[in-house]
Amino acid sequence: MNAAMLEVRDLSLAYGDVQVLFGVSLRVDEGEIVTLLGSNGAGKTTTLRAISGLRPPRGGEVLFSGQSLLAVPASKRAEMGIALVPEGRELWPLLTVRENLELGAYTRSARARSAANLEKVFRLFPRLRERHAQMAGSLSGGEQQMCAIGRALMSEPRLLMLDEPSLGLAPILVDQVFDIVRTLHQQGITILLVEQNLQKALEVARRGYVIETGSVKLSGTSADLLADPAIRSAYLGL
Amino acid sequence: MQRFTELVVAAVLLAGLYATMAYGLGLIYGVLRVVNLNHGGIIMAGAYIGWLLHEKFGIDPYLSIPVVVAVSFVLGIAIYRGLVRHLPRGPAGAVQSLLLLFGVWLVLRNAAYLLFTGNDQTIRTEYSTRSLAAFGLAVSVNRVAVFGIAVLTLVVLHLFLTRTFTGKAIRAVAQNADSCTLVGVDVERIYSLTFGIGTALAGLAGLLGASLFSFNPSYGSGDLLKSFVIVVLGGLGSVMGTAVAALILALVEVFAILALPAYLTGAVGFVLLVLVLVLRPGGLFGQRVLG
Ligand SMILES: Nc1ncnc2c1ncn2[C@@H]1O[C@H](COP(=O)(O)OP(=O)(O)O)[C@@H](O)[C@H]1O
Ligand SMILES: [Mg+2]
Repeated sequence: MNAAMLEVRDLSLAYGDVQVLFGVSLRVDEGEIVTLLGSNGAGKTTTLRAISGLRPPRGGEVLFSGQSLLAVPASKRAEMGIALVPEGRELWPLLTVRENLELGAYTRSARARSAANLEKVFRLFPRLRERHAQMAGSLSGGEQQMCAIGRALMSEPRLLMLDEPSLGLAPILVDQVFDIVRTLHQQGITILLVEQNLQKALEVARRGYVIETGSVKLSGTSADLLADPAIRSAYLGL
Repeated sequence: MQRFTELVVAAVLLAGLYATMAYGLGLIYGVLRVVNLNHGGIIMAGAYIGWLLHEKFGIDPYLSIPVVVAVSFVLGIAIYRGLVRHLPRGPAGAVQSLLLLFGVWLVLRNAAYLLFTGNDQTIRTEYSTRSLAAFGLAVSVNRVAVFGIAVLTLVVLHLFLTRTFTGKAIRAVAQNADSCTLVGVDVERIYSLTFGIGTALAGLAGLLGASLFSFNPSYGSGDLLKSFVIVVLGGLGSVMGTAVAALILALVEVFAILALPAYLTGAVGFVLLVLVLVLRPGGLFGQRVLG
């Protein structure tokens, strides 16, 4: 029995008066790749923002390695080993690629190993090494995604959450992103992957959750979900 | 030709002071999106602190720089933590922060009237009237000193923002605050630090200005407006852009003396501001945020 690394229980959240999460529950065990699926506006990004602390939930519980996160300020969660690659990259466009990566190692513990980790990121993404002195805002979409993943890796996360990393990328780059997710997983990082590309996400993930209008409608192993007739018709157009 | 050179030199020397005060306003706006309407109040406070230290303890105004910078830095942090932080962020809080900081300015100004009366004051030192002769030009020692300190301040600030981890975090917060939180930056701490630095620059500018000009409790309002003009002209955050914009304003002001009656020279900054807003609404150097 694996220990739960991340456990979200009955999470609800509202933007002002508009409630968008209605009791989301999910868990990610140590060493897993889990995917969170659902169509646009279902509440995937909001769920990740609540886990990383950017948006306080209205109710429910978020546990990381058994410890409640609700009292932990967002800026302290990186230090605990939680990293998010946000939807749309959200780089600092007028800082160089190198500065973006170095700031990724802002926490005290990560800063001590920043140079070694930068080298690792550059080995994983040789493209970023070539462009290290360029403004991040001048990178292509694929390079920006690499930079955003690299920045998250600089904090040495135990749990890496990726929000639609393949969004807006050319097919060949999409494959590359999923390869990277696999590689990182093999290196021992636990992964929570948000995707709209169900087919590809379920190929890399062990389990998945399907979220619809703010609550989990289906969950199961990837094989089960791929075989589910409701999913096949609603999301895969089969 | 001689007169022309004199005016250009005068403008360059003045531009250092202008850049220092404008950078404080631009830094706070660039990072927090708050227009620090109390900028003028702090400029005035910096002038009076320097004056008090000189009158009461005979401290040379240049030696009181560390005190003025430290006091205004702490004052800035106190204003941020005590007041500004509690307002809503973004457009919702914009009007509130304007009113609030304007209120703080009124309080400071009236406190100064109460404490020091409305009389004009000057900081007179034994070198106040001395000047240096170089290349056939005579320039006031004070003006050269103010320019030197302003340039040094801007260079140090530039190095801080571009070379240190904290400085980079300040620029990063200006560009994307949530991403900073995600990597572990305490964004509130950066806001508070930035407000302190911007306020300290205003205090320093007030002290430097007070060693050149006379002042009273209303001192600082003209400088706030000049800072606006420079920020709009020079864009946010780039030290170079701010310096160039400060020089443009100083040149226009200095040469306006030749062409306009004295009571109109104060208005040239606004004419410049209006011209820029009409012709290049994004500022001369675009909208770069602390790049
Ligand atoms: N900042 C916000 N303010 C108000 N409503 C928001 C905000 N962000 C997202 N929403 C709404 O919350 C719902 C869920 O959005 P989101 O979590 O981004 O979905 P997903 O990532 O699954 O596409 C949507 O209806 C969206 O319009
Ligand atoms: Mg989303």
